[in-house]
Amino acid sequence: MSTIVIEHLARVEGHGGITVELEGDAVTSVHFDVFEGARLLEPLLRGKRYDEVAPILSRICSICSTAHTLTSLKATENAFGIHVSPQTELLRELMFRGESIESHALHLFLLALPDYLNYPSAIAMAADKPAAALLGLRIKKLGNTIQEVIGGRAIHPVNAVLGGFGKVPSYDNLIALRSGLMQAMSDCDTVIDLIASLPATDFCHSDTWFAALRSPNLDCYYAGDEVMVVSNGNRAIVHAADYRSLTNEKAVAHSHAKHSTFRGSPFMVGSLARLTVNPRRLTGKLAVAMKRLKLQLPADNPMDNNKAQALELINDFERALEIIEQLLRDGVKDERAIPVHPRAGIGAAITEAPRGLLIHSYTYDEEGRIANADVITPTALNAASIELHLRRTVEQCAEREEAVITKRLQMVARAYDPCISCSVHLVRPCAPVGLSYTRTENPTKRF
Amino acid sequence: MSKPRVGIFGLTGCAGDQLVILNCEDQLLDLVALIEIRDFLMASSDGQPDGALDIAFVEGAVLTMRDADTLRAIRKRSQILVALGTCAVWGGVAAMDRGADRGKLLEEVYGERGLEYDSCAAQALHEMVKVDFNITGCPIEKEHFLSAVAVLLNGDPPLYPQYPVCTECRMRENNCLLIERGEICCGPITAAGCDARCPNLRIPCIGCRGPVADGNAESVLALFEAKGFDRRRVAARLRTFAPQEVAQ
Repeated sequence: MSTIVIEHLARVEGHGGITVELEGDAVTSVHFDVFEGARLLEPLLRGKRYDEVAPILSRICSICSTAHTLTSLKATENAFGIHVSPQTELLRELMFRGESIESHALHLFLLALPDYLNYPSAIAMAADKPAAALLGLRIKKLGNTIQEVIGGRAIHPVNAVLGGFGKVPSYDNLIALRSGLMQAMSDCDTVIDLIASLPATDFCHSDTWFAALRSPNLDCYYAGDEVMVVSNGNRAIVHAADYRSLTNEKAVAHSHAKHSTFRGSPFMVGSLARLTVNPRRLTGKLAVAMKRLKLQLPADNPMDNNKAQALELINDFERALEIIEQLLRDGVKDERAIPVHPRAGIGAAITEAPRGLLIHSYTYDEEGRIANADVITPTALNAASIELHLRRTVEQCAEREEAVITKRLQMVARAYDPCISCSVHLVRPCAPVGLSYTRTENPTKRF
Repeated sequence: MSKPRVGIFGLTGCAGDQLVILNCEDQLLDLVALIEIRDFLMASSDGQPDGALDIAFVEGAVLTMRDADTLRAIRKRSQILVALGTCAVWGGVAAMDRGADRGKLLEEVYGERGLEYDSCAAQALHEMVKVDFNITGCPIEKEHFLSAVAVLLNGDPPLYPQYPVCTECRMRENNCLLIERGEICCGPITAAGCDARCPNLRIPCIGCRGPVADGNAESVLALFEAKGFDRRRVAARLRTFAPQEVAQ
């Protein structure tokens, strides 16, 4: 028996490794090891007042802190029956786009690209290929600027609060964001050329289930209450209130991340899943780019998630521009956050964080203090799928040289853009007896 | 002259302080021209896990035996060790209730398997090794990191404000959220350096930068009590990012 160990996966957020055991040519076990320390934030939240929840849970992860903050606010607002204004929803969607732009640019250009071009880091890559590094940094900065302008800070945003915002962005700030986004639009061809020019990564094929928030009418990361799961023409819809059926998580010994399956199959969440579930958004510029990237959906290669991220960058620029144009057209009203009147109840929210589905669900007591908190993160949802694809990668590798297998394993794991700090976070399996999901007048608003 | 050898490390946390470094988009390439980054796992796969470092920046808190071993090893190879961010400096959010029964919490979250996990109560870096300088903040301010590198390269110590957020807030001429609006604002006992980011947005300070030196927590608690808040609850809130017993 032989073992391949990647002690500590570099160029990802957090602490994880890969262990593969082989019996001759047969793979006997594959582990995506998560040894990030358990911070136990969910049980520590118990007794905390409603306004403390989002700032604490934002700290689950820096790269996804905007998604955690906004998903948390939405879950609490659902529990208390607060309906935020259309302007607040637009501004929150814009924050999501900013985060997605930053996160995808960080991953594509600084973390994943060095693999394709055989550099240990983007810093080393920048010495030979400054244009690619600078392009990535410029796009990344734009994503951060959007988060700073709307959220008050790029990491752990402070301006988004229950019921709305502390202060709404000024006209001048929105104009500045608009010109940044227009510049980014003119970079799209360069981005697609670069990604299209990368060597093929044809080393992992597998039937894959994908799960993403369905947004049939409007392209949203922040709205919607139906998760669609698709594979090979099969499709199923899971309503947000039944999110637990997506996540019959089990704790495993080698990892602090629990594993999720849908009807017994691992599934993938994130960019590739979003495009697969919502192919209708792939028109115009995106359709052309998709052809140039030779991306076909549904894909059977997890490495295509990198191409999907490149497409989503374009989509995010377009959507962010649309939102800003709308805000400028309608004028930004100086709205104050809606006052909070806490009540006992359960509220949950499902959104699309950069790496995929993110779920927050809380139970509040009558004083508005947390009785129970449940957080399910994209990388926790992806963990079982990552292991499946790592296994296929070893099985499908014709060469038995360890260096080749090791590099492929790292690239496949990295294609998921894993966020390991996030993956550690979990949950209690059931709601306490005596409380039911809070009904509000508009059931689609519930999530 | 050879470039200073620098390592950037993360223990348990959200990686936000390392992300702040990567968010220095306008300075990053100039920065790496001045120093030699020997170890930065989040950004590079050619880390050199051994060998001496002139400066180590370490973010996150110690939450596992693995973290503790990593931290001791970093200390051993580094001339200067800088704690990066509130978790490293104060313990951070994972330390908010560190008297709690950890076994029970682990079991609650992960079931019986949880008891097998490598896990200990959150500790700030200085509780385990000697820390030379602290850069606090959740996350740290970009400018604080950049200026720390600049002054350390010149052989000077990085210095940060020794006054509370209130001072910066007054300079910005904000209305006081605590006195005038009766909100639980942690500004009076929280270290400045953020230019009162939250109160500028009409949002109370939550203390994410940790306690200010010589802050008078007793008098602030009395003030909240006089405003009708429950003392125990306010005290718990003030400890969200730094447990009381972590003295610097």
